[in-house]
Amino acid sequence: MLLIHRSQRAANAVRTVSPGGELFVASVVICMILASFGDAVDPTWIGEAGLEFTLFDLGGEFSVLAMRHWHLLQLLLGGAALAAGITVLRIFGGAFYKVLRPAPTGGVEKVPIKL
Amino acid sequence: MELEFFSAAFLSALFAIVLIDLVLAGDNALIIGLVARNLPKNTQNKVIFWGTFGAIAIRAAMAILVVYILAVPGFMLGGGLALVWIARKLLTPEPDAAANHLAKAPAATFAGAVRTIVIADAVMGVDNVLAIGGAAHGSILLIVLGLAISVPIIVWGSQLVIKLVDRYPSVILLGGAVLAWTAYSMIVREPLLVAWFEAHPATKLVVAILIFSISLGPWYSERLSEHMKPLVVLLPALLVWMLSFEVAASVWKVQVDYLLARDEGEYLLEGLRWLGWLPLAAGFLWLREQVVKRNARSARA
Repeated sequence: MLLIHRSQRAANAVRTVSPGGELFVASVVICMILASFGDAVDPTWIGEAGLEFTLFDLGGEFSVLAMRHWHLLQLLLGGAALAAGITVLRIFGGAFYKVLRPAPTGGVEKVPIKL
Repeated sequence: MELEFFSAAFLSALFAIVLIDLVLAGDNALIIGLVARNLPKNTQNKVIFWGTFGAIAIRAAMAILVVYILAVPGFMLGGGLALVWIARKLLTPEPDAAANHLAKAPAATFAGAVRTIVIADAVMGVDNVLAIGGAAHGSILLIVLGLAISVPIIVWGSQLVIKLVDRYPSVILLGGAVLAWTAYSMIVREPLLVAWFEAHPATKLVVAILIFSISLGPWYSERLSEHMKPLVVLLPALLVWMLSFEVAASVWKVQVDYLLARDEGEYLLEGLRWLGWLPLAAGFLWLREQVVKRNARSARA
């Protein structure tokens, strides 16, 4: 029995949660799974398979293999950065898609240019 | 393992403890109020004092005990599995949860009231103490800090917690994810399994995805459409199927790795590993459809 279940909104959090909050937690979970992936793979196998550049950036500062040493706060920060990146991509991608979408064929102004 | 004071690992463990305290806090204030409401005024004050004292004492005793219990081989695995169940319970929507209270009837005597409060706290605090023990990595300082944080919450902070989760319901999902992460780190730290995980490093990833899929399953099940809901069962079942072959390979010393079979029996075993789950999954989907149809028929009737 939990204290939070006294709040009707919190007891049904799945229906009341904000999309931003859910995206943030999903990003944190992705970072946690990547960290466990870094813990699971053998670095020598990655080198033998010639896959260094799929997991390391060119400067070698960020690597999925190094994520095995990440603590919870680092995972939360990484999740926040990932969520922010996905949000920015979604905004720009949405704007790009909106421009590419053809005007309605039955519309009065076929070409949406205002002089 | 002692963590260095104010290191990233220390602060991360402390943050995990605070979050776990918030999402798993029991409603002690309400229980004390319910139990003591019919007692005379002077006895009420004594019940509130001794009930709170007993609740804190039992919480401290359990926290110290759990540090030693988790050091015993096997208990880290048991604790990790229990945390998966706790995370699942946390993320399962419960519309009538407020009605399911441990203390339903007021107590008639002072001793009875204190006993009810202490037992209720012991029952409510098991999940909290276990999770804190797992997140503290055996550090006594973190256990003490965890108690210092959880005691004000169980005694005075209930309204604050309710306001916080009411304003930010995603704290609950984050709490579930942190519980799942703590369960994963407890299971891979299990002394009986450390050598096996070293020999089979890829299984760590499978275990992590399995734990997250079981723990967060109830939450994402609500999001999925009706025909996608079986995924919540099929994905963990498939991971358990794969893991069981890895375990069987260690126990019976057979080869189950891809294309490394040496005789017909091992080829059959490999085939069973990669394709054997398909008829089981199809059987599950067929059975589920029959149950849904039968339920729909009985609802119409």
